[in-house]
Amino acid sequence: MTMNHRRNLANRCNALKSTGPRSVAGKRASSQNSRKHGLSSAPVFESSLEYQALVELITEEGFSAFACADIAAGLLNYRRVMDAYYDTYTSPEPVDDFMRDMNVRASIPIFRELLSPSGSEPADVRDMAAFFAGIQRQERRKGGPVSRRSADTHKLIRYQRNGIARLSRSVRQG
Amino acid sequence: MLYNIHVSIDVDVAMPVEDKSKSLLPFLSSPKLLPNESEAEFQSGLQSLLSELDNPSPLALALVSQLNESLWWIRRHTVDKELLLHEAMARILSKAGSYSETYDNRKVSEALEHYLDGRADKDEAEWIDEILAESKLTLSDLRVRAFKDAAKHIKLVDDLIHRQHQTMRHLQRSIDSIDYKSRLIKRMDLELAALESRQSVKGVLSLDDEPS
Repeated sequence: MTMNHRRNLANRCNALKSTGPRSVAGKRASSQNSRKHGLSSAPVFESSLEYQALVELITEEGFSAFACADIAAGLLNYRRVMDAYYDTYTSPEPVDDFMRDMNVRASIPIFRELLSPSGSEPADVRDMAAFFAGIQRQERRKGGPVSRRSADTHKLIRYQRNGIARLSRSVRQG
Repeated sequence: MLYNIHVSIDVDVAMPVEDKSKSLLPFLSSPKLLPNESEAEFQSGLQSLLSELDNPSPLALALVSQLNESLWWIRRHTVDKELLLHEAMARILSKAGSYSETYDNRKVSEALEHYLDGRADKDEAEWIDEILAESKLTLSDLRVRAFKDAAKHIKLVDDLIHRQHQTMRHLQRSIDSIDYKSRLIKRMDLELAALESRQSVKGVLSLDDEPS
């Protein structure tokens, strides 16, 4: 068992004792932890320069003012979805190599050593090993980087479907 | 309405398509490519799609660029399907034989990738052959087993490809409707011009008729 492996395990065990952020800035930052892509929020395009430019160009094609606004918003909304799609595709949840590749059973002596100063019972060591084995199972189930990016991108399908339907409707009805 | 028709046609004539596309494309179709992708190839795909349109309007240009992007995504996802298989093959190999205790997927994955591409050096090729022999698998057996293991993820990628096809259908319909609209406007304009000329001929005739 290398020192590096031992240090990694110790860091992971210590991290479990953390109770989260304490400062206001830390809390503010962590409040955004579950934010994925921001596509669920309603966008406001009307004030953007792109929107004004698009409306101007589409107006020249003989669409009514209402249709122009609708098409421009539809186009920008679709672009927003596709940009989020690209970002999700290019930055999937990273693979935790340490967790995926570690040998939990072989790490039990280290757990025992790390937990013994507090006079831990063998049950604590078993719990710790089970906890790490659970995380490892999850990590392996998620697969490699390609599986992860496919799964993450798949979650955006409904936004893409709604975005393109909105754009297509606005163009055909305009 | 008629006034609008005239304005749209005047603008089409006065402003070349390239100028309009330049003003629209920066924020609608600036390609977001991966590091290993060729921008020239992306642009040539876009140009070939555009060449099928006869004097496209700026909106049609914007929609065609989105269509090109969808085609590009289909390409990416198709490559991903193969990569998913490779991932699963590497996973099976790294669990096999004496390597089960040192689950080093990344190392096996890299070696297998080189092996399948034919870029593997002698050591890597020997190593992969050794693991295959140890696990009593041929390459095609491994592929079949990997396909079974990765079926769930491959299904996800198939869904993504299907979504892009649906998106392309929507865009195609939108482009068709713009094209139909512009042809309708041109036809109405021609009919209007014909009516006007007929009217003016009638006016001339009636003026000619007046003295007699």
